[in-house]
Amino acid sequence: MTLEALIRSALDGDEAAWNAIVDRFDGLVWATTRGYRLSSADAADATQTTWLRLVEHLDRIQDPERLGAWLATTARHECLRLIRIGGRELPSDEAGVFDVPVEDAPDRRLLARERDRALQRALAKIGERCQTLLRLLASVEPPSYEEIGAALGMPVGAIGPTRARCLEKLRRSPELVSLGTG
Amino acid sequence: MDDAHDPDEVLVSELREYFARVDPVPGPVTEAARAALGWRRLDAELAELLSDSAVDEESLAGVRGVSTPTRSISFGARELTIELEIHSDGARRTLLGLIAPPFVASIEIQTADGATEVARTESDELGRFRAALPSGQNIRLRLTAVDPESGPPVETSWITV
Repeated sequence: MTLEALIRSALDGDEAAWNAIVDRFDGLVWATTRGYRLSSADAADATQTTWLRLVEHLDRIQDPERLGAWLATTARHECLRLIRIGGRELPSDEAGVFDVPVEDAPDRRLLARERDRALQRALAKIGERCQTLLRLLASVEPPSYEEIGAALGMPVGAIGPTRARCLEKLRRSPELVSLGTG
Repeated sequence: MDDAHDPDEVLVSELREYFARVDPVPGPVTEAARAALGWRRLDAELAELLSDSAVDEESLAGVRGVSTPTRSISFGARELTIELEIHSDGARRTLLGLIAPPFVASIEIQTADGATEVARTESDELGRFRAALPSGQNIRLRLTAVDPESGPPVETSWITV
């Protein structure tokens, strides 16, 4: 079904249609909120507000094919709003999105986890802009450049070059270099 | 060069696996997104968010931790504006509201996290009302005029308080 048809059905209360919209974009919305160094609770609030906002405006979405960009823009605004009202964001020494779960892994996963730790440390050193961009680029459903631009408030033309620069920075970080390219 | 050997693509797909493992969308977040459909307007008119001092001072967003104790928010529907002031005193939030043009309305404060925490209040003849607010939640107001001739209920946009 096209997005336009899904929106129309959701307006009539069709939960399956609505769930299909959520499934398609919740990775994008979540990744957007995770880029703003909010606590997990605040990121969850911003995500919920974004979806409530969509329900609110479902009958006035002008261009259904740009729904992803609309959601990303809305999520960005909700994050900035939360940062303004709360001062509830994480102190900058907490890694948040780059945390690795602490529970013990079976031995066979040790190698992957060593690589995870290296990625976590390397990501923490490439700057906030790069972290946010890569977090979005690496969403489960890869977003379009238009959606990424909307999430970051960044001109679409700047995304390609920034992406290349951030990946290069990451690749060259000592944490990854010392592990090899594996 | 095809994607499978482009070093940038290889690194991005490694990051994709990493984030999927380390920071997937939490189940409750997806559940809340799915449940949002239940909050669509059925009988009410939307009062859109017109301004929010928390956002209009967005240029200050870079100045972390700066926040004013009073937040002003306004909503507008076709023939109606609703002005809110949210006063913070520690974890306590007090809501002061003004409906213009004024009318006596029953006001429900709805939270998106289930119907458990619904507060109620009523505006006076001057359109003024006041309520204690839960903090850290998405809320909206639903106004129903006591005089049934005054038109359909009005629901505001959601805001996080």
